Amino acid sequence: MVTAALRESRGARGRLAFFVLCLALGVAAVTGVSALVASIESVLRSQSRELLGADLSIDARRPVPEVVDGYFNFGGMPERSEVRELATLVSAGSKTKLVELKAVESTFPFYGEIVLDPPGRLGDVLTPQRCVVARDLLVETGLKVGDSLKLGGEEFEIAAVVLDEPGRLDLAFTLGPRVFTSREGLARTKLEGFGSRVRYRALYRLATDPGERALREARERVDAEVEEAPYLKIESHRDAQPALRRSLERFESYLGLVALLSLVLGGTGVAQIVRAWVASRTQGVAVLRAIGFRPREVLAMYLGHVALLALAGSAVGATLGSLLPFLVPLVAPELVPKGHQILWEFAPFAKGLVLGLGVALVFSVPPLVAIWRVAPVRVLRSDVEPLPAPKLVTWSAAIALAGGIFAAAFAQARDPLYALAFTGGLAVLAGTLALAARGLVWIAGRLPREGLDPYLRHGVAALARPGAGVVGATVALGLGVLVVVSMALIDSRLTERLRTALPEDAPSVFLIDVQPDQWDGVESELKGLGAAFVRDVPVLTARMSAIDGVDVKVLSQKRPDDSGVGRGRWVLTREQRMTWLKELPKDNKLVAGALWSDPERLELSVEEKFAADLGVGLGSRITFDVQGVPIELVITSLRKVEWESFGINFFLVAEPGALDSAPHFRLAAARLEPDGETRLQEVLAERFPNVTPVRVRPILDKLLSVLSRLALGVRVLGLFTILTGLVILGGVATSTALQRGREVALLKTLGLTRFGIVRLFGLEFALVGLVSGLLGAIAAFVLSALFLERVVDTPANLPWWALLPIAVAVALASAFCGLIASAKALRSRPIESLRG
Amino acid sequence: MLACHQLTKRLSSGATELVVLDHVELEIRAGDFAAILGPSGSGKSTLLGLLAGLDRPSSGEVWLDGERIDDQSEDALSLLRRRKVGFVFQSFQLLGNLTALENVLLPLELAGARDARARARELLAQVGLADRTHHYPAQLSGGEQQRVALARAFGPRPKVLFADEPTGNLDAATGARVLELLGDLRAREGTTLVLVTHDREVARLAGRRIHLRAGQVERIEEGALA
Ligand SMILES: Nc1ncnc2c1ncn2[C@@H]1O[C@H](COP(=O)(O)OP(=O)(O)O)[C@@H](O)[C@H]1O
Ligand SMILES: [Mg+2]
Repeated sequence: MVTAALRESRGARGRLAFFVLCLALGVAAVTGVSALVASIESVLRSQSRELLGADLSIDARRPVPEVVDGYFNFGGMPERSEVRELATLVSAGSKTKLVELKAVESTFPFYGEIVLDPPGRLGDVLTPQRCVVARDLLVETGLKVGDSLKLGGEEFEIAAVVLDEPGRLDLAFTLGPRVFTSREGLARTKLEGFGSRVRYRALYRLATDPGERALREARERVDAEVEEAPYLKIESHRDAQPALRRSLERFESYLGLVALLSLVLGGTGVAQIVRAWVASRTQGVAVLRAIGFRPREVLAMYLGHVALLALAGSAVGATLGSLLPFLVPLVAPELVPKGHQILWEFAPFAKGLVLGLGVALVFSVPPLVAIWRVAPVRVLRSDVEPLPAPKLVTWSAAIALAGGIFAAAFAQARDPLYALAFTGGLAVLAGTLALAARGLVWIAGRLPREGLDPYLRHGVAALARPGAGVVGATVALGLGVLVVVSMALIDSRLTERLRTALPEDAPSVFLIDVQPDQWDGVESELKGLGAAFVRDVPVLTARMSAIDGVDVKVLSQKRPDDSGVGRGRWVLTREQRMTWLKELPKDNKLVAGALWSDPERLELSVEEKFAADLGVGLGSRITFDVQGVPIELVITSLRKVEWESFGINFFLVAEPGALDSAPHFRLAAARLEPDGETRLQEVLAERFPNVTPVRVRPILDKLLSVLSRLALGVRVLGLFTILTGLVILGGVATSTALQRGREVALLKTLGLTRFGIVRLFGLEFALVGLVSGLLGAIAAFVLSALFLERVVDTPANLPWWALLPIAVAVALASAFCGLIASAKALRSRPIESLRG
Repeated sequence: MLACHQLTKRLSSGATELVVLDHVELEIRAGDFAAILGPSGSGKSTLLGLLAGLDRPSSGEVWLDGERIDDQSEDALSLLRRRKVGFVFQSFQLLGNLTALENVLLPLELAGARDARARARELLAQVGLADRTHHYPAQLSGGEQQRVALARAFGPRPKVLFADEPTGNLDAATGARVLELLGDLRAREGTTLVLVTHDREVARLAGRRIHLRAGQVERIEEGALA
């Protein structure tokens, strides 16, 4: 069977090359994404202790109770090291900067080493008077080791600069550079006393490694027995950075689907090549049938041939793709921790191989079905058109195809809904493109060509050429264009939007933790700096203790242990921030109920999506634990918030009077010019060191840079889809090479020069490209407009004028690829027309 | 009009060398109807291709309408054929994605004829296909296709028409009708005709019969036998 299959590939080097190339591109994309994620995961796993700095970490907004320690007694009490984290300002002379302060004990970290310059151990270097800072801070403020800076109004000497943190991956979102102090140092500043924004973390080194199961059981016991458990976030090194890995997974399923798109396109290319090949072999199949082969045997032989080619193509692609992680240190060295060895991973390679093979087989079944229909009697005839397969067979082949694509999408996204959306969306888009392409071919066949230039006429006529695979090539290329163009449109619009996102009347800086008695002073400073739109609201933090009388602990047990937003446990147990207001700001709209409409009860207004996450509605009663005092509020209205306005907004707004006497701080917002913001930082650092200013502009910049990284990935993968589309076009050109060769010989005989032939065929391919480009781009524009207007809720404002240039660019690329693929046909000599 | 001196074509396939044409001497006058006769494999098509500038000889000279063509570039030969030469093939060789009319128009437009469309219609009418102008080759019978090919060949008023076994793929009656039309058109346009055939009956109409055997001119007969 293998030798028979190998014999089949003789004398078809063009077909072979295109088959392999079609698959290899898609497989490389799929494998590349998966290999990249796998290599980052391997960093997370192999350095999980160093990344966490401990075996176990417990995170909370309040001190972690000591009783917890006892639960992790595995052959001895664990060692515990306290960490406090908060964002605050540092100042030095006239320079100020928002930093992430981390106050640690001398045992920090339990694992890994923080490399300092001058060399030293962090625990030894940090005294109550000294701090250690990240290099970024020195770069941005011009300070150097030995200088002093102010934190929370107190002087600290910069003892060293951090050269390397263990296993640090620069993926996390930070407000500013890191500054380390000792716990005693932090205590000197009184910053800790203001409570609301300090994160408490207890790091543990366990006496022995208890194993996964014992650790899980201990955590479950903490959940069940410790009263503060709902407020604690426990993470073990075995979890290997769950939050990071979750976003990595999301990244993988998203980019994985984009990559799959190019593989599926490659599959359509495979289908075309197989179809052309089967058509050219109809006579051969008839001969095989005549000498006694059964249809099943013939099919097996041809499938074996396809599998062999698919294996070759997938192996090429999977090899290239799985080597991708080795490029990362060259392109983005910050993603690879020092000393981490990138290893070749087998799993992504195998995944690429299997997906490539599967997609190729699934796509070749429909065209191969034609083999069943070749009757042996056809040996006696000379017409080579294969008979159409019966409806039932065609439909089952189509269903197998859809099933295969769904399975591949599921393998990529690991979510049946995504897989279904991918398959369905692809079917609808491909169907629409195919319909449009068919329509255009139909029109091209009937268009009056009377007045056209002979070259153009030939091109238009060639669109209607039967069996030329114009429809298939148009769909494939069109889909590629669609992906790239829509990604580019959405990306550029979102970026532009973020860049200009700060509306004229939006605040540019938020002041967190203003104590009620500081507000007058802060406000007059703001006025003095020319701040506009100054607003301030009281902020109260409280936990929910019950919903409709049911204890939150009970409710949270039923939810997944998910620290992200959404319907996870954390939504219920986290510290809620709320305010009270008489009237709603302009960017809020009531969608249900009426504001403060019940004089009898204490009322609450909830943002509608948040209400859905909490699982509450109008009339629900929520009990809050405000510093030990239970207060019940009833929901009498739901709101929609236009978050893009960047105003001060809360999920939860209470009726004035309900909570006024509870301890709270004020949150203020104001609009300042960037200069004013810098001066405001100086003033705050001097007079109100506990107030943290959070500036919107630098955060937007950070967001932009994260977005642009993702967009780059999508764009690279999108390019793969276009390339695959062009390869398919080339495949179509080679599959008709025989016919084209004859035409070239004839046209040369009739007096066409070589340039004339190039012009003629170039025009033909350009027309296919023009149609694909136009269809793909139109679909992309429509989809992007829908997405932007409906999902992101932003005016689309798309550059419709770009449709034509895009189509022309695709036309040029197609002409180029088509001509290259027909190079052999173009060299046909006129004398060949004499040999019919 | 058309002549060759010491025309030789050698083909080498690997180590062996095949002499397809061996020092052929020939001269055909303007307006002549010459038939090239010979058994299959004797080199008829090769000679035709060399005379028409479709291929280049290994040695020897080819003259067409006062020009020496054996040493011209490929593009120059294309332009020469466009102006002076027409073809009819055994396998019709129509472009499948163009209609009958468009097939006839193609060489006319290449030659830049002013009245291309009218001329194409007139020729199609002359071959009896006035009502089939918008049909595609696949919708026409073999005889009809060859008649379209005739119309296409005569379109730009070529000085020489080369026909390689034009009736080879047709039954006797259809072939006779095609030959009759070919004769009529040639007479009307005054075209020099070089026709390759292995069929003695077909060759009877020709003014000269050149007999080829194994790449050499065996003998030349003068005068129509009809
Ligand atoms: N491209 C080629 N390669 C090898 N042999 C060829 C080629 N073209 C022609 N021949 C050989 O040259 C000889 C003459 O061919 P041809 O002119 O086609 O003969 P005819 O038209 O008289 O049948 C034949 O033996 C044929 O096999
Ligand atoms: Mg011949």
